[in-house]
Amino acid sequence: MTSFRRSLASALLFVFIVLGFASSAHALPAFARKYGLRCSACHEAWPMLNYFGQKFKDNGYQLMNDRDAPIWQNPSYWPVVFRITPNWHRESTNKVLVDTPAGPNSGEVQVTSHGFDLSGLDFHTGGTLDKNISFYVLPSSDPTASFHFEQVFARLDNIFGSPWLNVKLGKFELDNLVSEKRILTLTSISGIYQTYHFIPQGDGNIFGQIGDNQLGVEWMGHSVNDRTRVSAALLSSSDGNVNLSYGNSYSGFFAASQAFDVGKLGVDRIGAYAMVGEAPTTYITQNGGSIIPGAAIGNKSYSREGFVGLFYFGKLDFLAVTQHGSDSAWFGAGYGDLPGGTIVNNNIPGTTLPVGARAPTWNGYMLETHYVYSPQLIFIQRSEWERMSQQADPTSASNFGDVDMYTIGYRYYPIMTSRAGFAWHNEYSWTRQRGTAPDGGDLSSSSLLLGFDFDF
Amino acid sequence: MKTGYKYKLAALFSAFLLLGLGVMILGQKVDAAPPSGGSVAGTVKLDGTAPHERSIDMSKEPSCAKEHASNPVKVESVVVGSNGGLQNVVVYVTQGLSGNEANSTQMQTWDQKGCQYIPHVIALNPGQHFKVVNSDQTSHNIHPQPKNNSEWNKSQPPGSQPFDVTWANPEVAINVKCNIHPWMHGYMAVVKGPYAVSDNSGDFKLEGLAPGSYTLTAWQEEYGTQTQKVTVAAGKPAAVNFTFKAK
Amino acid sequence: MRATLLKCSLVVSVTVGVFFALSGSASAQITRYQEDQRLGTESHIGNVTGHAKAAAMDYRRYCVGCHGDDGDGMGANEPWLDPKPRNFTLGQFKCRSTPTGTLPTDEDLFDTIARGLDRSNMPPWNTFTRQQRADLVAYVKHFSPKFQTEKPGTPIQIPPEPEVTADRIKTGQVLFQKLECWKCHGVEGKANGPSADTLQDDQNRPIKPYDFTDGTRPKCGSSDQDIYKIFMTGLDGTPMPSFADNVKPDEAWDLVFYLRTLQPMHSKERQIAKQLGLKPIDPNAPVPEATPAATPAPAPQQ
Repeated sequence: MTSFRRSLASALLFVFIVLGFASSAHALPAFARKYGLRCSACHEAWPMLNYFGQKFKDNGYQLMNDRDAPIWQNPSYWPVVFRITPNWHRESTNKVLVDTPAGPNSGEVQVTSHGFDLSGLDFHTGGTLDKNISFYVLPSSDPTASFHFEQVFARLDNIFGSPWLNVKLGKFELDNLVSEKRILTLTSISGIYQTYHFIPQGDGNIFGQIGDNQLGVEWMGHSVNDRTRVSAALLSSSDGNVNLSYGNSYSGFFAASQAFDVGKLGVDRIGAYAMVGEAPTTYITQNGGSIIPGAAIGNKSYSREGFVGLFYFGKLDFLAVTQHGSDSAWFGAGYGDLPGGTIVNNNIPGTTLPVGARAPTWNGYMLETHYVYSPQLIFIQRSEWERMSQQADPTSASNFGDVDMYTIGYRYYPIMTSRAGFAWHNEYSWTRQRGTAPDGGDLSSSSLLLGFDFDF
Repeated sequence: MKTGYKYKLAALFSAFLLLGLGVMILGQKVDAAPPSGGSVAGTVKLDGTAPHERSIDMSKEPSCAKEHASNPVKVESVVVGSNGGLQNVVVYVTQGLSGNEANSTQMQTWDQKGCQYIPHVIALNPGQHFKVVNSDQTSHNIHPQPKNNSEWNKSQPPGSQPFDVTWANPEVAINVKCNIHPWMHGYMAVVKGPYAVSDNSGDFKLEGLAPGSYTLTAWQEEYGTQTQKVTVAAGKPAAVNFTFKAK
Repeated sequence: MRATLLKCSLVVSVTVGVFFALSGSASAQITRYQEDQRLGTESHIGNVTGHAKAAAMDYRRYCVGCHGDDGDGMGANEPWLDPKPRNFTLGQFKCRSTPTGTLPTDEDLFDTIARGLDRSNMPPWNTFTRQQRADLVAYVKHFSPKFQTEKPGTPIQIPPEPEVTADRIKTGQVLFQKLECWKCHGVEGKANGPSADTLQDDQNRPIKPYDFTDGTRPKCGSSDQDIYKIFMTGLDGTPMPSFADNVKPDEAWDLVFYLRTLQPMHSKERQIAKQLGLKPIDPNAPVPEATPAATPAPAPQQ
């Protein structure tokens, strides 16, 4: 059981790293080109939005100056943007099982690798199909150019002329105020928000990762100046995976926030969000164990709730997120994922939970700080702490699986135009997970990255 | 009692004296009488053939087109008299002024008649008042486009009252247009000291110059500026002629 | 070995970063607007005092792309924009509450920033705090020497808005004909008057009159007061003149009401016009002499 958990943990960690590195941020010179504004008008530092950019997005990629429909553009204008980050990086993990003359996996060493590399490639296309109809299509690749649809949606904006009525359908990022898709940190460790993806050790619920783009329909409303924002989304519990591979269960995501003028400091915002829903733990099989795609039953519940805050103090700003997570005991015992993967833990009828199995609960905390020296130079720090409050397995140590993550870096944008984005990125991250090393100790790894992050 | 009466008389007398002096001084100003009798006279001529000026089509404004039915109006950027005299040239002093010249208080008129500006060019001192009049049966908007003064743009429907305007700063020359009737163009030259605008024979006369040496500038809307030096003596007008070469 | 490599890479990265940062700040110093005493410019909006100095970063972040480092409207995107970005150095502004030819008040600029200018590239910047906007107003002012030497004009007096009546709308229509608004805006407000195609702005660039019928907002705001201000102050720098000398303050409301009937948006004015069966003006007919509101109709004589 423990070794299974560990392999699952490493598998998940690997998945995170790959996903994180291919993580798609939306920085669109396509929009800058369309409107002639500099990147810095919408981005505190691209890809991270500032308040004006958030309003632009909430309006359906419209400035609301009656120049939004594509008819106003040169006919040859095509809203497409490529983004990729060639880099040099160095990855190091402190404890990795290795083969020795004594036998397979009999030794444990630190593994370090480094070299020149590529990130994934994003093709962003987005904009308006007509006034008040917006769209986004984002095929995104991993570093080997294997593509998937990261984001695809169309949105009806300002229905009946009201900013309170906007509906989109497709695969999209949840209405996260602190957007992981606009993350400013790029290493294999910091490329995702741990808080948005944390899964307890051995837990089989991949569906509650609010950092992943999800399939569904979303209603979103906001005040004219975007000070007040609310949204509700109905999502397929599939973590954004297509082809109905996870069957018939749904989740809801709700978010609301309010911004306040704080005079010279700027506009601060606080908000709350919740994701509640059910996801499958059982798949009907045939041919002695082959899962029938989409034939999921045995839905179990889970929830994520959190608070977010965006606080500005002149050139200094803070993004804060706290999240409480809770999964059904079935997930905690390892049921849930994945069809097509291992079916060891498929919840076939008649299965019972291990004795004493409990619903895992945990809390996550994240604090990201930016010092915006100028729109062209930003220093970044992020710290994240994931803390278990109830282990699914009562015999586990209370801190088993807890994650600490720290990263520090800066981005420098030597050019500031409305045609392209170019940044020199330099960052160092470090993370530690309690008790998940092969010897039962702490697993820690670090990542250093230097590279050119550009889009055009 | 008697003493009081005497004082009253004296007060009254001195008041009259002051009033009289005031009237004299003011009267001098109104007449723009020269502080001393120097003046410059001359003619502006065009060397070469005057460019062909096209006729203005006012069919979009029937009330104006009617006025010019028998004699179509031509563009007025170069207006040459029969003797080759060049009209609408502003002559003014660019060097040699003492700086104490009083600004003219004479009221000028900028009329809009038959969808033309009459006159086509006026010259003014800073602060000199002029009256904008609409004698037409159509609306105009008077839209001067200065660089060195504040721009404004006012509508003047038929029958409305004239309004009074001044320019604060020297500027040669402020283009005036009417956006409703795009063919309407005129110029206002705001200069310090004495000025003159050549008449239809090209003649001009600058008055009120103290004896001394001056640089005169002649400005024509199409041909730009020319300068000449001149020495003015008391009594006899100095002669200066300008010749612009046709392009 | 490993540690050495790590150290080396750290040193390299920091060096490269510092190099970029330094080269960036050096070039920024050259291109940045030459600072002078004008940066001391202030603005006053209600109880908020704006300081030009405080807006330098926001201006650079949000405004420079179009309005340019020197505020002359020659930002990198100027060639692709129509209408062109405002040249702040001239100190001339379309949307004012002050008479034509005068400087706008701080409030006018403050409102323009938040409202944006429809049918131009200028979006509503209503995400700023009041303080940020006030600072930007001061910054916009600091570009023009006019704000150092002249005072803003005195805002025009707008009488309280009267009740919309059929008579007022009819009077407004007479004014629309008498003032010859239709010469540019067209008899139905479709921006197709006889002079519409010839219009040019101060830089001799073609400019279109406002089309009342296409459902867009007027450039300087869509409230009744805004429309009142537009024709009573004129849009300086454009062919739109001020009618303040020719329209009495109360009559101006009649014109506002009539202009509302030309817009497709649902309004009381439009409803009344529909009931009246109001027809577009006939520009060839003489302007009706007596206006219903000004002179009550005399009792029938026959």
